[in-house]
Parts: sequence; structure tokens; C-alpha cells
Amino acid sequence: MAAIDLTGGTSATTRRHSAPRVPRDQTTRHFARVGWGFSAPAFVVIGVFTIFPILFALVLSLENVNVTANGFSLLGGTLNNYKIMGESSLWHHALWFTSIYTLVTVAAELLLGTLFALVLERLAAGRGAMMALLLIPWSLITVISAELWSYIYNPTYGVLGEFWHAITGGSAPNVLGYPLSATIALMFADVWKTTPFVAIIVLAGLVMIPEELIEAAEVDGASSWKSFWRVTVPLLRPTLGIAVLFRVLQAFGLFDLPYVLTGGGPGTSTESLAMLGYNTMFTNIDFGPGAAVAVSTAVIVLIVCLVFLRAFRQQVGRETLNA
Amino acid sequence: MRGRRTSARAGRRSLRALTVGGMLATVGMAGVGLAPSSQAAVAHAKSTTITWWASPINTSGPDLRTTLIKAFEKTHPNITVKLETAPTDENTNQTDLVTTLSGGAKTPDVVMGDVVWPGLFGAHGLALPLSKYLPKSFFKRFAPGLVAGASYNGQVYGAPFFQDQGFLYYRKDLLAAAHMSVPRTWEQLRADAAKLAKENKVKYGFVWQGASYEGGTCDFMEYYGDTGASVLNATDKGSVFNVAAATKALSFMRSLVTSGASPGAVDTFQEPQAMTAFADGQAAFMRNWDYAFSTSQAKGSKVIGKVGVAPLPTFAGRPYPGYSTIGGWNLYINPHSTHVQADLTFIKFITGVQAQTIEARPPFSEIPTNQAVRTNPAIKHLNPPFAVLAQTKLISRPAQTPNYPKISQAIYANANSAISGSTSPAKAAAAIASGIKAALSSSGL
Repeated sequence: MAAIDLTGGTSATTRRHSAPRVPRDQTTRHFARVGWGFSAPAFVVIGVFTIFPILFALVLSLENVNVTANGFSLLGGTLNNYKIMGESSLWHHALWFTSIYTLVTVAAELLLGTLFALVLERLAAGRGAMMALLLIPWSLITVISAELWSYIYNPTYGVLGEFWHAITGGSAPNVLGYPLSATIALMFADVWKTTPFVAIIVLAGLVMIPEELIEAAEVDGASSWKSFWRVTVPLLRPTLGIAVLFRVLQAFGLFDLPYVLTGGGPGTSTESLAMLGYNTMFTNIDFGPGAAVAVSTAVIVLIVCLVFLRAFRQQVGRETLNA
Repeated sequence: MRGRRTSARAGRRSLRALTVGGMLATVGMAGVGLAPSSQAAVAHAKSTTITWWASPINTSGPDLRTTLIKAFEKTHPNITVKLETAPTDENTNQTDLVTTLSGGAKTPDVVMGDVVWPGLFGAHGLALPLSKYLPKSFFKRFAPGLVAGASYNGQVYGAPFFQDQGFLYYRKDLLAAAHMSVPRTWEQLRADAAKLAKENKVKYGFVWQGASYEGGTCDFMEYYGDTGASVLNATDKGSVFNVAAATKALSFMRSLVTSGASPGAVDTFQEPQAMTAFADGQAAFMRNWDYAFSTSQAKGSKVIGKVGVAPLPTFAGRPYPGYSTIGGWNLYINPHSTHVQADLTFIKFITGVQAQTIEARPPFSEIPTNQAVRTNPAIKHLNPPFAVLAQTKLISRPAQTPNYPKISQAIYANANSAISGSTSPAKAAAAIASGIKAALSSSGL
């Protein structure tokens, strides 16, 4: 969020400064220096922990890498890693699975999150307590909540099986044993965990909408349904854009939930791109092809986000202007 | 609990250090302290601390690892062994180590690692070739075949620590009540298990490991081996994987589920799930490793005194018994260790008669690798699985290649699909064959 606010804020500031068309005087330059000074630590952190690893993965993916006890030895440039990846049915499947997973969970979380936010906004009392309650799933470490879900789904002694048995009398369903049901089970756990996050973001957006606008719509005779779609939703779009952006970034890097809950199974049906990259690198000690998988994930998610940002260019980062 | 025990040990040690320090200070203040304190300093300088990376071996009773460390430190006061608990999940354990060792870390010094690691670790130089540091005579202490399994490319990388293999566990009481004999063929086992489950004598007939993980490969290799086929050729570089034989093995594994002999959830079962069901009295038969007998007789089990053990069955028409997959753990040395001599001393002790007798005796009951302990008649009668050891027939996983992780992944992921019914056995077998081919030619992910 910080990064996006920063861009929005900076462009707004620049615009305000450039509007009177005064030459860049000393004060402006001074402000610029201070600005760079303040952002420098963030740039260093991003450079060391984000840019460098991505570039390093890019280098590895274009090399014949041999892993030895003394680290990597790079044995010359090659495109073979990408060829191996592109021809692998594992990669095709992981790409498909990760994309569908992202699409479904983000859509569901957006829908449910908005509903929760609307309810929360109207809550007269106990909003703080409700928000705290709501945030419990989000604040749990995924590995822990994945373990909890594995107890729920477990067909021998799981809670779900007990309920199923009590209601239908039949034996417990083997939820994680089939590709489709395992995928749905993973999506369900993800939606449970992340909907509160979306709800909080959307709530922040809702609170920022001036009440007068809604009231004006009501005065003009708009039904609450109509005022929701014509007033609330358009004003909420920048916020929704941010929520989607964050969720897509996160969902596409899916790793911990299937790693704990299904191990990628049954078969490799729930193996995400991140898991595939990890397994290729660290289980098979194939760093070249593994890096290619990692780079492919980063590039795909980058493209998706750029396209998305372009589509939402009018909204993201201009919440304050709209308000 | 184990963590608490370890920290209690550490606490005691630091308490001892404090006491010694206090005594020295007192002596020093009395004005006669110089000589003893400098002696203590010399003794301290000579002592070495090595780190032993090992996952938990037994889950109930005293910890085998700390028991062995105590015995070692008693006879080797100059070497202190620090235990570092490794993940119990085999794949996580391996990936953690690969990251650590390829990063050049000096610790852990000694690593307890799976018997299938020599190919991978040897090829990447992630383990010290022990045969370069220890005389040939050292390796004669092990039971035949174990050293070959711990070697890659003519060098021995692992010292066999304890052996493991698949056994058939059965409920003596249920079989007697139903007038059944211990099954000698897979077909009979399937029929008996399905019958007992259908007649509600027990919840599940037969439990085993069908999840998508390394253990799935172990179980598959037993059925596959029983058809008479093998995976790699004599040089370990080419595939001789037999699709028809694999189809037969996978069809049978799937039929265990469809016939009602095994629960549908067996495709998510690893050892703990099978063990829990069996120890809770919910299963008539179980395929599991050596530890399962003592665990089934430990406090809290509902089947104490009711469990029998036998070699695994085979397919009808094949010579009894069936194959048992070899498992177990070796000790490897970190190539960056700065205490190689101390590491070797520790390995010699752990594979020696004293330590191997400790691990073979109850409550641990691990299968020793030291031939002298293994053939000791007094040891043989201590644990029922030992008694059937001589009758069992062993099969190794195709691990004498650095590409083993990919081969195993091709096996367990596709076998798991077949067991769950999401892929037909024939398709899964073909997928395994192409996966192995791709792994050997390094042309797949």
C-alpha cells in the first residue's frame, strides 16, 4: 500500500508544484533531496531483498548451474532451463492450477469482503470487537491454520467427518483425496483466512465516502440498491483495485497452504508454481530449471499487475482526489 | 517434550559450569588457585563440541538420540555432542540440509540422513566420502549389502546407523476369531481385510502409506517388486521400468480401496495415520516399519498383546514372501565440518557394538546394522520383527543415481493419483515410465 500511496502522492504533489510553472528553485531541490533521503532506506531494503533475489534468479535461470558443497558453479549461459520448463507438464499444470486458484479465491474474497465491510460500516456498536474477531483468521500464521484445517478435513478423526456422519450417517468424505475436492478445500481455507483482510481494506474505503453523497442520492429518490451501485461502488473502485492487486500478488505466490495441507497431492494436482519451483530447486537440486520456474512466476504476476494497474489507472492512487 | 529434555540437559551442564567456575574462584581467592585453574583451561581447550543433526527416531519413552549421546560422552569426555533436531518430514529434512550444506555451513558436523541420499549427496559433494577417511576394515562391521547401499560411484558416503524395512502387522485376536491364517498372498490379504471390514469386525481392513510423498514410493516398490520387475538397469543409468508390471501393481493398490479392504483416505495416509488407526484398534492389518511393533505395544495403545508380525505377502503364484523396501538411516559427515576426527570417533562409536546393542534393545528396538549385534541370539529374541528378519526379502529403491528425487516423485505422485482413482492405473504407470526417463536424461522438472 505504501508504494502505491507514494506514487499517487508524489504525482499529486508534482502536479500541484508544476501547476504555477515556477522554475525548480532551491526549495524544490531541497525538498527533493529530503524526499530521496527519506525513501533511501526503503529503496535499499527493496533492492537487497526484492530486486537482487529476482535478478539473481534470472541469472541462475539462464545458466547451467551445478550445486556443490562450495555453493553454485555456473557453467555457461543457456536457454535450456526454459525449454525444460516449457515442455514440462508439471509446469503447465501448476500454472493452470495457480491461475484458477487466484481467480476463484480473489473473486470470492472480494465479494465476501465487501459484504462484511458493508455490515461492519453499519454496525452501531461493537464494531471494534467485531473487527478484532474477524481478524483472528488473518492474524494466524498460515502454517498453523493449515494444520488446523488438516484436522478438520482429516477423514479418520476430522471434525468435518464427524459432522458429516452425524447428519448423513455415512462415512466421512475423503476431502483431500481427490483433485477437485482438495482444490476446493484449499480455496475454502484461503477464503476463510483472507476475507477479513479484504474486508478491512474495503471498510477503509467505505468510511472515506462522504455521507452527503449517499444522502443526496436518497433525496433524489434513489433506492438504496441503486445508490449502492451508482454511488458507493464507483467511489469504492480505487479501494477495490488495491485490494485485488494485493490479493493477486499474494495468491499467485501460493505456497504454505498446499505445502502443509496436501503436499501438492493427490498426485501433483494441487502443486502451485511456487511449490514446483521450490521442489525443483531444493528437492531435486536442479537450480537452473527451478530458477526458471521462479522467474516465470514473477514475470507472469508482474504482467498481470501491470495490465491491472493500466486498467485501473484512473482509480488506483487517487482515492484522495476522488474524495 | 523432547525439547524440554534437551534444554534441561543444557541447563544442567551450564549449572555444572557455574559450580566449577565458582569453585575455581573460591580456590583462586584463597591464593592457591593458579595451578588447578590453568589445568582446567587446558582440559577445556582440548574438548570439542560437534553438532549432530538427527530427526526424532522414537516417539514414546526415552529418546534414543540423547541416550546414545550420553553413552558416548561417558566414554569420550573430550567430545561433547550437541543434538540438533531435524524435521520429521523426510523431504523437508533433505531440503533444509541441501540449503545449509550447499551454503557452506560448518555445522551440523554429523548428519543422520536417509539411506536413499548417497547418490544425491555424493554427486553434489554434500557429504564427505567416508571411505577416504576410514580403513576398509571398518566397513566389515556392517551387515552385508548395507555398505553398497550407502555408496555412490565407488565411494562410501554413509555409515549405516539403523536399518528399516516393511513388515506386515496383523491383529492376532481378529484373525483367530475369524479362523483366518496370516495371509501369504496379496490377494488373500485383500479378501480377508475386506471381509473383516464388511462384517464390522473392525473399522478398516488394511492400512498402509498411499500419500503423495517418499513413503508412497516405498509401498509401491513392494508391489512392483513382487511382479518380478525392476526400475533401473545394472549401471543405474538407464530405465528398465516395466509398464505392464507397474499397471498390475497399481491396479492392485487401487483395488484395495475399491474392494473395501482399505479406507478411501489411505491415499492421504503416511506412517502416523496408519499407526494411529492400528494402535486405536481400528485396523486388522498394517504395512509399516520396524518401529510399529514397539509403538503398538506402548502405553496408550488399544492393541497391546494382540499384534503379530510377518513378512509381507506377494502376488499369487510368486514365491513367498514378498519384497520389503529397505529403509533406515545412515550417518553422513558435513564436508565443511572442522572436527572431522571427532565426527569419525562419534560414527565409530554409534556403529559399534555398545551403541548398536542399546538401539536394538527395548524400548528402542531398532534393527541394528552391526553384524555382530544383529546375529547375537540374545538380541534376536528381544523384538518380534527381528525374529522374522531372516525370512524377509529386501528390495532397494532406485537410489543409486543423483536423479533419485525426480524418479521417486514420478513414482509417488502418479501412484497416488492411481490409488485415489483420479487416473487409471495404466495411465499412471505410463506417466511413471516417462517421468523416470525424463529424470535420467535430466530433461524434465
